[in-house]
Amino acid sequence: MSDVLVRTEGLGKVYPKSFHHRDRMRALWRLLVSRRRIDSTAVLSDVSLEVRRGESLGLIGANGAGKSTLLKLISGVLTPSSGKVAVTGEIGALLELGAGFDPDQTGRENIMMTAALHGMTGARLKTSMPKIIEFADIGQYIDQPVKHYSSGMVVRLGFAIIAVLKPDLLITDEVLAVGDEAFQKKCIRWMQDYLDGGGTLILVSHSMYHIQKLCQHACWLRDGRVAMIGGVFDVTQAYLAYQESKLAAQDSGTERAGGDLEFMVEEVQLDDAQGELPLILEQGAGFSVKLRLRSREGRRPIIAIGIVRADGTPVYGVSSEMDGYQPMLNDAGESHCALRFDEPQLLPGSYTVRVHPLDPEGLRVFGTVERALVVRGNTSEFGLVRLAHRWLPQVEEKA
Amino acid sequence: MSTIALTYEFAARELRARFAGSFAGILWAVFQPALQLAIFAFVFVKVFNARIPGADAPGYVAFLAVALWPWTAFSDAILNATKAIQDNAALIGKVAFPRAILVMARVCASFVIHLLGFVVIVVALNFFDDHVRLLAGLPLALLLYVPLFALALGISLLLAALQVFVRDLVQLLAQLLPLLLYCAPVFYDRTIMPVAYQPWLSLNPFTFYAEAFHAIVLDHGVIAAPSLACALLVAAGTLLCGYWLFTRLDKHFEDFL
Repeated sequence: MSDVLVRTEGLGKVYPKSFHHRDRMRALWRLLVSRRRIDSTAVLSDVSLEVRRGESLGLIGANGAGKSTLLKLISGVLTPSSGKVAVTGEIGALLELGAGFDPDQTGRENIMMTAALHGMTGARLKTSMPKIIEFADIGQYIDQPVKHYSSGMVVRLGFAIIAVLKPDLLITDEVLAVGDEAFQKKCIRWMQDYLDGGGTLILVSHSMYHIQKLCQHACWLRDGRVAMIGGVFDVTQAYLAYQESKLAAQDSGTERAGGDLEFMVEEVQLDDAQGELPLILEQGAGFSVKLRLRSREGRRPIIAIGIVRADGTPVYGVSSEMDGYQPMLNDAGESHCALRFDEPQLLPGSYTVRVHPLDPEGLRVFGTVERALVVRGNTSEFGLVRLAHRWLPQVEEKA
Repeated sequence: MSTIALTYEFAARELRARFAGSFAGILWAVFQPALQLAIFAFVFVKVFNARIPGADAPGYVAFLAVALWPWTAFSDAILNATKAIQDNAALIGKVAFPRAILVMARVCASFVIHLLGFVVIVVALNFFDDHVRLLAGLPLALLLYVPLFALALGISLLLAALQVFVRDLVQLLAQLLPLLLYCAPVFYDRTIMPVAYQPWLSLNPFTFYAEAFHAIVLDHGVIAAPSLACALLVAAGTLLCGYWLFTRLDKHFEDFL
């Protein structure tokens, strides 16, 4: 079960800069005669990964990160500009459902064509044809030209062919998000069966749900390079955290406490995380917010502490006043206090802890200090926090 | 194995697409050149009063038809196959398979159609012109289609690969192919040309085929062994050269489509 189906080493792809008439001529000349490099844009560089039989790899990343290009390189549609890709076994690539369908031909004729493209012919095709038609389940439309199909029907037909073909390696590009609910379920169920039966999958999706459900490993591409590769939960969480923090950075800009204010937060530390580095916690572990603040006039401030998700959604907020806690001041007007969360129910993701000092009347806010908090874990639950819950015992229905 | 099956699928699709929706279907393969032949026959025989020189020469219509059909297969194949890669850009971007198949399929489709027409027309001419050698000539003539096919495929591979980079090629080709036709002894016999020009005609790759079809089917003229050897060499050489260039550029098609 451990033979490698796909191996890429230092894989890179550049596209030639486009395209006036003269550029194409020059490109042709260089390809044929002078072998000098063509002016080009790099879309993928130095990608090394391995997929073994029975494994499933999810590719994630923003639009234009090079995911589709990588799939095309693996499936052999594109030729790498640098590095190499080695694939063993039969590939079924669904780069786009219904690609290669001729709109003027009937569904049946297109099945024959696509099957032939995937190397299925003769007797094997004859036995598979009824199965494909049954899986697609589009009734009498099978003998109509594909141009009369709804887009859902095209998708059904495309998936049905692959489903019956059962390739060694299945490569799909965001195709699970199509078709009606029932057919989507059918596809997911088929995928699960395929994986349980030892199938190998490379999946590109923007749905972390699908990635987590179907893949063991994930690879995060950023600007054409591998940002992270590893277990699916680690990678998807790191990716989401990155996305969220990028959004938040756009939203808020920088608001920092500064100048000589009545109340100043001088230092905030989460457990013993150094400086402004994020604190990394395992899911469910407790943590403390330690702070040092200064009161210019010797008055006792109210301290508000909140946890927001990295995109700014509030999760929980509380103040010393609500809890009836009074921070003690020393002679220098400094206060050292700490707040402990013993059992935070935060789900894995990236969070920010915010500390705001308020005047004793609770009217004015003096600056804000933020620290990042990352919770890691392997749960498939959704949302921000785990809500305590239990399943009730089932009651026998009375006849 | 799967290459052959795939070529068959593509060629079949090509044929279906060409005749899709027409009542006569594949019969157009015969109708259309027959109609063209009728027009030529009227213009050349009735208007220009054209005749083939020689005491025992075949009729003009038979003379024209026997070389015109192979020419149609040849030029139709090249013209269609040159655009094979460009027309299938969407497919090439999505599915990995040997791209030469696309060119091969179009050349096959053209030859199948016009070979059928050729057989029908030779059989038909047999009743009007006793120069036609049906049983002795037809099988040999079909054999002659083999190097012609190789030549067409070689040229098509070459042009289809270049067409990806230089899109004007197919426009240019549409102008050049008729020129090639008029510079081959299809409408006329070589002997009616001024003697000074006659040898130049041999530079046209189709000249050999036109004269060879005349010789085989109508017993008009002879096939010289050196020119046969030369033609076979040219066909094989063109095929190799076309295939070499095609595989050389194949890897880069996707970037330029």
